[in-house]
Amino acid sequence: MKFNFWYLSSLTVSIIVIVPILTVFTSFFEDTSNYFKILQQTFFHEYIFNSLTLLIGVIFFTFILGVGSAYIVSFYKFPGANFFKWGLILSFAVPPYIYAYSLFAFFENYGTAFTILKYLFGDGNYNKQIPKFDGMFGLILSISFSLYVYVYILARSSFLYQSQNLIELGKNLGFSKFKSFYSIILPAARPAIVAGLSLVAMETLAEFGAVDFFSVNTLTTGIYNSWIAFDDLAFANRISFFLLLFIFILFLTENLSRKKAKYHSELKGGFKKKEKIKLYGGKSFFAFMFCFILFSLSFLFPLSQMLYWTIKFPENLIDLQIIDLLLNTLYLVSLSSLVLIFFALISNYGNRVSNKKILNILSTLSISGYAIPGVILAIAFITFIAWFDENMIKALGFLSIKKIFIGSILGLVLVYFIRFYSLAFNGIKSGYEKMNIAVDESAYLLGYSKTKTFFNIHIPYLRNSLLFVIILVSLEIIRELPITLILRPFNFETFATTAYISASEDLLEAAAVPSLCLIIIASFFILLTSKYILRDRDE
Amino acid sequence: MSNNFLEIKNVSFRVGGKTKVKNVSFNIKNKGDIICLLGPSGVGKTTILRTIAGLEKIKSGSIKLKDKILSSAKNHIEPENRNISLSFQENSLFPHYTVEKNIHLGAEAKKINVKKKVSPKKIIKLLNIEKILSKYPHQISAGEAQRAALARSLVTQPDLLLLDEPLSNVDQSFKEEIQVQLKKLLNNLKITTIVVTHDSYEAFYLGSKCGVILNDQLKQYDDPYNVYHFPNSIEVVNFLNRGILIPAKVTGENSLENEDLGTIKGNFIKHYPKGSAVKLLLQPEDLEHDDKSNLKLEVVDRKFRGTNFIYTLKTATNHLIPVLVHSHHIHQHQVDEKFGIKRPIHIDHIVCF
Repeated sequence: MKFNFWYLSSLTVSIIVIVPILTVFTSFFEDTSNYFKILQQTFFHEYIFNSLTLLIGVIFFTFILGVGSAYIVSFYKFPGANFFKWGLILSFAVPPYIYAYSLFAFFENYGTAFTILKYLFGDGNYNKQIPKFDGMFGLILSISFSLYVYVYILARSSFLYQSQNLIELGKNLGFSKFKSFYSIILPAARPAIVAGLSLVAMETLAEFGAVDFFSVNTLTTGIYNSWIAFDDLAFANRISFFLLLFIFILFLTENLSRKKAKYHSELKGGFKKKEKIKLYGGKSFFAFMFCFILFSLSFLFPLSQMLYWTIKFPENLIDLQIIDLLLNTLYLVSLSSLVLIFFALISNYGNRVSNKKILNILSTLSISGYAIPGVILAIAFITFIAWFDENMIKALGFLSIKKIFIGSILGLVLVYFIRFYSLAFNGIKSGYEKMNIAVDESAYLLGYSKTKTFFNIHIPYLRNSLLFVIILVSLEIIRELPITLILRPFNFETFATTAYISASEDLLEAAAVPSLCLIIIASFFILLTSKYILRDRDE
Repeated sequence: MSNNFLEIKNVSFRVGGKTKVKNVSFNIKNKGDIICLLGPSGVGKTTILRTIAGLEKIKSGSIKLKDKILSSAKNHIEPENRNISLSFQENSLFPHYTVEKNIHLGAEAKKINVKKKVSPKKIIKLLNIEKILSKYPHQISAGEAQRAALARSLVTQPDLLLLDEPLSNVDQSFKEEIQVQLKKLLNNLKITTIVVTHDSYEAFYLGSKCGVILNDQLKQYDDPYNVYHFPNSIEVVNFLNRGILIPAKVTGENSLENEDLGTIKGNFIKHYPKGSAVKLLLQPEDLEHDDKSNLKLEVVDRKFRGTNFIYTLKTATNHLIPVLVHSHHIHQHQVDEKFGIKRPIHIDHIVCF
């Protein structure tokens, strides 16, 4: 095997990604403090039970919301359909923890709902009438309204790629609309829906902010608490091991489903553009109301709640160093994007020109980081650095390297890199996949060297994909909480960490300004990417 | 030192570690010659072109262009340094550039003063792609993309042009016209060209030499006329689908005898001793129709081919013989009717195996 630059770079990326996973697995067999035994007899089963309950609840809601909305906007014409097509993805700008703050604040005693009722009907004790959305149910709603977008995007794209021929086949067989949906449309979109639900499931198990806010004990909070409260890294890694087993199954499901999901979009011929059915009267009203309520609940509601508090408590706006937070966020975003793009480009180009199996395997390993929850990654990273520092660096007589990696921008960017490398890699890969390899060969035959082909042909062609990747990575980093929280340097805050810290100190009003800023910036990024996310065959 | 423009010597053409065509040797004698490689799909024709272009490496033999070794077990000149252009069968246009930019990139890349020999405008006009110049590759048809890629290859004026099924996506109505123009242009520019095709008529028209690749081997490399009339193996006969092989016995210097057709006279292209049992190649144009003849065979099928009919006749020993008749012939025979064959039978070139 020729050991060249491409192997070296792909190998480096794979090693960086694989180290935290290996750390979790090796820690599983280490002794832990007594806390493990106590926990095993008390909370551990609760962690698993709660995680599973949460998972089932979120999957149920995201399926109904995601598939329902995707079906309506893909197959029917009704007032506002064009707006909802992209409006519905805006809820992705609201991370579950911010949704949780809004939900809690709106329905709490003397909260926003109380104020509205008082304004409308005068003084009264409305607290008893106002339902309370906290605990597990509030958590399920918060995560579902934020994450149904995954199912919506994938199901919608699958519905759009279904040819009119398929719909006509149903009619030809004499199926009713419901039977056509149930027997033809839904099974054809099943791989895409399963892929979407698997992503939702992975994100749910990885969710930290909202789970912590509602004080529901899940595996993720268990990991965080064993590290923070009991200073037991080994036990944190043990719980991580169990969580990773869950995630591994979901990761496999998602990957297999994605492969299958391609089958209806790769047909070379026979695609017939779908005619959307125009709805009238009650049906049109129902479709509009379904989308409108979903849009309002998932996006307008948290946005309004945060806006309301920002206006009601303007002193928070003044207290907060918005410019500093913005600069910190932008600094992280630009640095991480650059590193990610650089390595993802090298790796993709290496795969393309070398076309070797080993490089493909290494790439698959390198993209597995996205499945690992941020909390696990951060803690496994600390564990590894601590071990490496103790056993390798100090043993050789060098100065400690802990400070270089833990509580530093370098460490933070490195873990972001592991977590979001798959976004960058797959984003560029999908751009490359659209370019026939004969294009490269034509360039060589026209006299272009490999380097010249890369800069003169590939880069201009991939321009849009690169832009898309930068925006997507930025969006994720802006919303990211646990990694930033655990690994950030002292006094280095982002919108996400400031919102979390305020909320965890029961200063929900103070969490409003950073949350609002986060929603606005994330919405802006989503609008920039909507063109790519919602790319239609019929547009 | 040889005098050949291109020389391929004992090369086994491989792709992905698998040998596609074994131990191939052929030459292109003069600059400006056009040769065609003919064979069924998947036989390795494209692999040959890719290897000559430098996109695949070889483990044995050598490929020389103008006496310079391009490929051998030890040497491999990179594709960008060969001045060889390959026009792919599939769409290989740069997807983010317009057709016009694609065509000009070819000339720019090699810094060719294209005005010297032929202007891109002339090539664009010839290939009838003026209307799509401002379009992007995804906005044009497969046939148009193929012609645009061909134009891009032509403007580079390479030492050797390799065309992989250049007209496979071009409409039939336009194909013949473009073949004529292409041949004229290549001859004018004196661009040495290898055309790969599975269309024997295209190969026979364009090429001054024609190679037939079958079953991992270059079976025959000869003038188109010889390949057509004097196929050197049963495989070539079957591939060209030129006729059938019937049993016969050599009865003299210029004659042989078949149980159903009687005496057949003509010139053997290869000598066989008197009394030899052979298989005679009987092609559709070898037999003539004659209603007055007493040799009558049963019609089992009739295919209308525009300018002619091909009748399939059954002999007493159940052989099915094709016979060509011009379609203006007024005596059309229906299936199950009797069809007269003119006697004595005379075949110009007797091909036997």
